[in-house]
Amino acid sequence: MLMKKRLEQKVEFGFVALIVMLAVYMPVSLYLFPQGSVFSLSLFSINLIGQIMSFALLALALDLVWGMAGMLSLGHGIFFGIGGYMMGMYLLNVSFAQTHVLPDFMQYMGWTDFPPLWHLLSGFGATLALCVLFVTMVATLFGIVTFKSRINGVYFSIITQALTYALMLMLFINDVGLGGNNGLTGFTRILDFPLSSVSTQVGLAVVACLVLAAAYLLLRFLAGSGLGRALVAIRDDEARMRFLGYKTHVIKLLAWGLSAVLAALAGMLYVPQVGIVNPTIVSPSLSIEIAVWVAIGGRGTLIGAIVGAILVNGLKFWLTAAAPSVWPFILAGVTLLITIYMGRGLWGEAKGTLTRMVR
Amino acid sequence: MMDWKRLLHWAELAGMALCLCAMGGQAVFAAGQAEPLRATAVQSFCAEGDHPDALAKLVGLGIQGDPVNRAWANTVVMAIRDGELICTPRGGAVISRNGRNLDAVTLAPAQVTPSGTPYVPTIVMMRRLAVATAEMDLFSEHRDLREKAAAQVSKFFMLLDPDILRQAIQRQGDADIKATLELAMAKRGLYSSDKREQLAAIKALGEAPSESSRTLLTDYLANDQVRAEPQLAKAAEAALHSIDQRLSIGKALSVLFSGLSYAGILLLTAIGLSIIFGLMGVINLAHGEFIMLGAYATYLVEHAMRVYVPSMFDAYIFVAIPVAFVSCGLFGVLLEFLVIRFLYRRPLETLLATWAVSIAIIKLVQLVFGSQNVEFITPSFLNGGAQVIGGFFVTYNRLFAIAFSLLVFLATFAVIRSTRIGLLMRATTQNRDMAKCLGVPAQRIDRLAFALGAGLAGLAGVVLTQIASVNPFMGAGFVIDAFMVVVLGGAGSLLGTAVSSLALGEINQFIEPFYGAVAAKVAVLLIIVLIIQKRPNGLFTVKMRG
Repeated sequence: MLMKKRLEQKVEFGFVALIVMLAVYMPVSLYLFPQGSVFSLSLFSINLIGQIMSFALLALALDLVWGMAGMLSLGHGIFFGIGGYMMGMYLLNVSFAQTHVLPDFMQYMGWTDFPPLWHLLSGFGATLALCVLFVTMVATLFGIVTFKSRINGVYFSIITQALTYALMLMLFINDVGLGGNNGLTGFTRILDFPLSSVSTQVGLAVVACLVLAAAYLLLRFLAGSGLGRALVAIRDDEARMRFLGYKTHVIKLLAWGLSAVLAALAGMLYVPQVGIVNPTIVSPSLSIEIAVWVAIGGRGTLIGAIVGAILVNGLKFWLTAAAPSVWPFILAGVTLLITIYMGRGLWGEAKGTLTRMVR
Repeated sequence: MMDWKRLLHWAELAGMALCLCAMGGQAVFAAGQAEPLRATAVQSFCAEGDHPDALAKLVGLGIQGDPVNRAWANTVVMAIRDGELICTPRGGAVISRNGRNLDAVTLAPAQVTPSGTPYVPTIVMMRRLAVATAEMDLFSEHRDLREKAAAQVSKFFMLLDPDILRQAIQRQGDADIKATLELAMAKRGLYSSDKREQLAAIKALGEAPSESSRTLLTDYLANDQVRAEPQLAKAAEAALHSIDQRLSIGKALSVLFSGLSYAGILLLTAIGLSIIFGLMGVINLAHGEFIMLGAYATYLVEHAMRVYVPSMFDAYIFVAIPVAFVSCGLFGVLLEFLVIRFLYRRPLETLLATWAVSIAIIKLVQLVFGSQNVEFITPSFLNGGAQVIGGFFVTYNRLFAIAFSLLVFLATFAVIRSTRIGLLMRATTQNRDMAKCLGVPAQRIDRLAFALGAGLAGLAGVVLTQIASVNPFMGAGFVIDAFMVVVLGGAGSLLGTAVSSLALGEINQFIEPFYGAVAAKVAVLLIIVLIIQKRPNGLFTVKMRG
């Protein structure tokens, strides 16, 4: 038993170390090794890794509410999107300060300046703070309405899907002022760094890795704490927890809020690396895909969520370039296989086998 | 002694003979006159003067009761429209058609070959020519020719000749056509110089409410001259007010009707989901793809019938109904057998698994049929619609959708309530273990229920081919709405599905004209969330036993 725990701890720390090593390796490989050598990573790969890391953070956020608390949210795209759009607004503000040219969609709408609300997002610190605040507000509102009335299970999932669908439809409207179905694009700088420069892109990828590692450590600490154990208990039998005197809706709300903030952070990391944010980021299918990443990796294991996100997105990026018409079938096949035969997901099964081997 | 009887008799005969002679003489006279009349008409057209005037003369000849003259006038006017009339230097004209030259007056082969170029009508002249043929057709013996002519004349009311129209109204036997002509007269009357005529026209328009009469009166009122005359302005405003009242009733009915048709679609898409979800607790995210498959099955049936049995093409929608039902049912059985049965009692995994299947199906259909919208030819009996009252236009395809949804709902209700299979399904839903103990083959019932649900989705696809656009991605939009219906109505309850689809359909259509489609969807969602607070399992819950 003790050995199992120590092994588990070793594996977890090892995992974090892996991520940090990756974060260090990326700039090193770019600057130290010549391009084309087997040790070097191209800028394209580094950017890809950065995007995948932000997706991994998003998967981690979902694993918190699904794997640990048992609430399958199919609408985490909402928080991801809020973070992404607010980052996009900040980036447009900063780009305008440099170029003094209004974004295309604003010119198209006939505006002569940014709307007053946008001016709140002209500084990075302000954007970060406002994003966290706004996302917490939205999550709390939703949580109060749903958790108090004990909407659970599939009803909860369907409602989150419908909400993200409604948000996507709303963002398609040009009059909302967020670029319509083209979205926000044309970013030139972040903080004081030009987005086009190599160092900025590598830096963003490194930051993504480090934030992921930090989030993982935080959630791992949470899982071991009283709150984490309460969440697992709620997942297993909420009625019993209520009868034991726990305010389950408050506990769920806490986890929900934290998850929303992490998802928003993921969005903020994703958008500068991909250069655009449009309504597809809140499409229902992306929100379902997040659940698929977590399911494939292994829900409840935290590491599994990261592994699943990296695996699926890596495959997706490779196959949509190499064989685009085959990718949906492969994704469908893998999902079916894992949901039917490997209920604990890849990492869950691997952990199980490892534990058995150790004994 | 005078034989008065015999004298009377001879007088009668003499009188009849005189009459006959007179008529004959008149005919001969007319025939004798016809040619010079025709010649004058043609001449005045060819003399580079006022073409509309000359056209009016031609039309005047054409509307006389004589069918021969009318046919001649028709021929000449059509020749002018088609650019076949060539004027000769001596004032006559030749119609050049397919290489043959006919004299315009006698329609006999022409003696001389014309040297000039044919008259090419201007765009305005083309309209006048169209109106001219219509005016002449108003006097034809064939009713549908007269009906078409009346519609044409009403459309181009500014170009018509009021005298001709008055004659046509007098001579019209048919009430509908007369009404159209009187409306056209009224429209013309608005712009006449006589004030009494204008007032009469305003009154007539006020009693024939429609969007077009409303626009006419609004434009009329916008004229400063009209506004200067208080009597005219007041009459026009009163007429507008009464039109608006009648139109608003029509609009309200129209909203109710479109809400009903939207509710019918929701019902069809949601009923299969409700059965499956109520019975097995399975969330089937591939439901939208079953709808899509039903639509594509209809497309294949339509295509096959167009190629192999074109004479019965219109019946394709009725042939497609069983085809779509059975094929989607089979797909449902396949899905259940390959995927769902391993995920019993794991609803969240089922969700992900069915999602995976749905993306595979979408890609497959995309590869086979392509991503663009598939074109459908509406069967002739579903084309068009009928104007019930002003502002309320009933289209037959939506009427079909409503009727079909009702029929399918009643049939499903009958099956679930009155057949043995329905009984077994209900038993398995209410207490699965007890039903199994009593010998009910629960797994087989599951498969059957899934097939039924999938088949019903296929039927929804059949109806949607007439209303919505059909492409591989159409399912996604409907599946979320269907789930909302099931969540509100209560899973497993047919009545709940019906009530909630009606409610959601009407609410959506009430909000949409004011705030747009997106706001309507968001509002519906919020309403559902609020209702769920009070009744977390939906409006009509299926009572579980044990």
